[in-house]
Amino acid sequence: MVRIAPPARGGTLMASARSEPQSFNRIAANLLPTEIFMLLTQGRLVRINRANWQVEPWLAERWTTSPDKLTYTLTLREGVTWSDGVPFTADDVVFSLTAAYTPGTAVGSSLLVGDKQLKAVATGPRTVVFTYPSLFAPGVRLLDNLPIYPKHKLESALKAGEFVKAWSPKTPPGEMPGVGPFVLSEYVPGQRLVYDRNPRYWRKDDKGVQLPYLDRIGIQITPGQDAELVMLQSGQTDLIQQQLRAEDIANFRRLEEGGKTRLFDLGIATEGDHFVFNLRPEKWAKDPRGAWLPRKEFRQAISHAVDREEFVNTVYLGEGVPIHGPITPGNPDWFWPDIPRYQFSLDKARELLAGIGLTNRDQDEWLEDEKGNEARFTLEIFGLNLVIERTAQVLRDDLRRVGIAVDVVALAPNQVIQKVYAGDFEAVLLAFQFTDIDPATTLDYWLSSGSNHLWNPRQKLPATEWERQIDAIMHKQVVTEDMQERRKLFIEAQRIFSENLPMLYFAAPRIWVAVSPRVTTMMPGITRPQVLWNPEVISIK
Amino acid sequence: MTAFLLRRALFALLLVLVVSSGAFVLTRLAPIDPSGNMGVNVPEEVRERIRRELGLDRPFLNQYAEWLSRAVRLDFGHSIVFSRPVNELLGERAINTAVLAVTALVVATLVGLPLGVFTGSYPHGAAAKVLRAVSLVVLSIPPLVGSLMLVLIAARTGWFPIGGMTSSVGTTTWAGWLADLARHIPLPAIPLALPLAATLERLQSQSIADAGRQSFVHAALARGITKDEAVWKHAWPVSLGPVLGLYGVAIGSLFSGSFVVEVVTSWPGLGRLMYDALRGRDIYLVAGCAAIGALFLALGTFVSDVLQAAIDPRRREGAGE
Repeated sequence: MVRIAPPARGGTLMASARSEPQSFNRIAANLLPTEIFMLLTQGRLVRINRANWQVEPWLAERWTTSPDKLTYTLTLREGVTWSDGVPFTADDVVFSLTAAYTPGTAVGSSLLVGDKQLKAVATGPRTVVFTYPSLFAPGVRLLDNLPIYPKHKLESALKAGEFVKAWSPKTPPGEMPGVGPFVLSEYVPGQRLVYDRNPRYWRKDDKGVQLPYLDRIGIQITPGQDAELVMLQSGQTDLIQQQLRAEDIANFRRLEEGGKTRLFDLGIATEGDHFVFNLRPEKWAKDPRGAWLPRKEFRQAISHAVDREEFVNTVYLGEGVPIHGPITPGNPDWFWPDIPRYQFSLDKARELLAGIGLTNRDQDEWLEDEKGNEARFTLEIFGLNLVIERTAQVLRDDLRRVGIAVDVVALAPNQVIQKVYAGDFEAVLLAFQFTDIDPATTLDYWLSSGSNHLWNPRQKLPATEWERQIDAIMHKQVVTEDMQERRKLFIEAQRIFSENLPMLYFAAPRIWVAVSPRVTTMMPGITRPQVLWNPEVISIK
Repeated sequence: MTAFLLRRALFALLLVLVVSSGAFVLTRLAPIDPSGNMGVNVPEEVRERIRRELGLDRPFLNQYAEWLSRAVRLDFGHSIVFSRPVNELLGERAINTAVLAVTALVVATLVGLPLGVFTGSYPHGAAAKVLRAVSLVVLSIPPLVGSLMLVLIAARTGWFPIGGMTSSVGTTTWAGWLADLARHIPLPAIPLALPLAATLERLQSQSIADAGRQSFVHAALARGITKDEAVWKHAWPVSLGPVLGLYGVAIGSLFSGSFVVEVVTSWPGLGRLMYDALRGRDIYLVAGCAAIGALFLALGTFVSDVLQAAIDPRRREGAGE
């Protein structure tokens, strides 16, 4: 918790946003503006605290677990009402879960355990019983993925099969009640969203002061981060919704010295950018490079060829740390500091490449295989993303030193994503963020059957022995209750991952946020939106 | 005159159809799936639903034919990026752009035309020379640079807000809204108005100098009227022909939204809408923005033609031929 001064009630916080909501229905849509609407106006049964990653009781004040660990009985808080005065009950919870499993929603797949749905039954106005299809070690933590929406406003849409279209940008704000700290009072497309205090909000601070502290939050829609930063530094807004870019930090340090902004170091990000090779066998079946490009030695050589310290200095301008796997020091519960490291060594890289038949046969700049095919691949990246572009530049330069040619192609982000899902790529650099740090909630990434197993997704049976091993470990990890044992299992999964390197990681950035000097209390978290994730404790002077 | 109006209306319709169809076809044929906008962690079934709703699962010709049949009824479909009907978005943003365009046009006219008359009528004075030099400098400043300079000035001085059309918390009264708007509009309006004012000044200056050399102006002076009277009563109306021609283009480009200025100053107009549509590969919105841009261009040309015809009977007669 950041506390510059004792929190004071009242005032209007001005924020900015780069895009506006396509929907106010977080069950149906998952983009950041919709997430922010949900954080400001709605609630969850339990909440993962983005500042310390612990599970906190939220709309459910307590819960019990059955002896077989398959049933969770949640007791809802007493006296909670929707902002329109209708009581919040267990029926709203059952309704929300039913809606979440409607085909085509954004949260349904994140609420599955072993590809099966949870069941929820309201056994009283304040009691909901959740039955899990199998053991799931994180338990109620999974329910952080379930936004609670009002049955009395959305039941008809669900019955009509129109739920995913409900609460569109055209819905009048007064028709969208919530149990969160604020209510949307005005939305002017292209210009602003205005949120007013929800006078019926259930939460008080530890001194008994009714939350939220603020009376109002205004979010001005701006087309880019540069415009957002200028507004912040001139005092027109109090915060931006995302972290600062590395190139902006020095400027904001000067502004902080001049008293114009406050700067906060939130620590290391929970993810670095993801460098993934396409390992689908069909991709390389007819490609002459298929004999060496999908081999792990090729990826290990790349990992040895990149100087991670220099990478941090060039890509993140020093504001980051080297990493050697998908779990960063920003995820202290699951980070394994002893993960095998591929130390920077051009000789070791050349040795590995020679081992798979790649040597310089024609005395030019590049290596070739025995048939004369150059060691060359295409790396597709998000265009107009400075960090990704700098990363690609560093990779191209570093790999050139060992004779690997990288053809960098910058595309629109949606085009890169489309190609990833279609399997139409050789290698890509991606930026994305998981919603939780517990590996049991990111099985989509780890399991060979997962849709985010990006190097070779949705496998019916594991294509390789090491993927089969990781599958087995992760399945076991998910049902193991003992935390120490879960950590041990996950370390083993990371060890196998590190040996085979289906995805490469080089550095994770340090996350900085800047706010105006008006902001006196807030509880920032490491993931987006760093400040607005917990809006009720923000106060200003 | 009727034939002239009909011909112009037909031209406008054709222009709108060709430009919007071209935009639709090019955006649709780009090898990009708009459902990719939703990010990496989006379930495949959500992508499929979006693609189905947008008609991206149907053959291109089928999709184009359906779009065209709706477009001729002025229904441009549903925006992917904003999840709203394109018509609504165009309506809202067109009003915002119109507010900006009218302001810029009025400022440019009030500044550019009188100064042009002055520098054209008294070309050898020190003031005219200074004004011409300033005009040349202003003319050389593209709106991008102008708007960035003003953003910098606003950020340093706090004289006016840095971006947006109104404050982020809004206001409840019309008077409050107007006052708020008046604070926000200089930032985007000045970079648009100044180069246009300089262009008008130079064109008006040249035009009035040419008119001043006409025999009827000399004859009027010989009859004993003052130079100012000769300029304003006799030379100025005649000099307006080329100036009004410029208005056609200016109205078209200003009212279809300045892409650069609206993005830099966060003005929620048609230019920024087009920018968002292109970034999101929002085919229906791109086509809608192109259609309204073409419509404004056609209207601007039409207004200019009518005004020129009104002040110059020779054009009217020619138009009717």
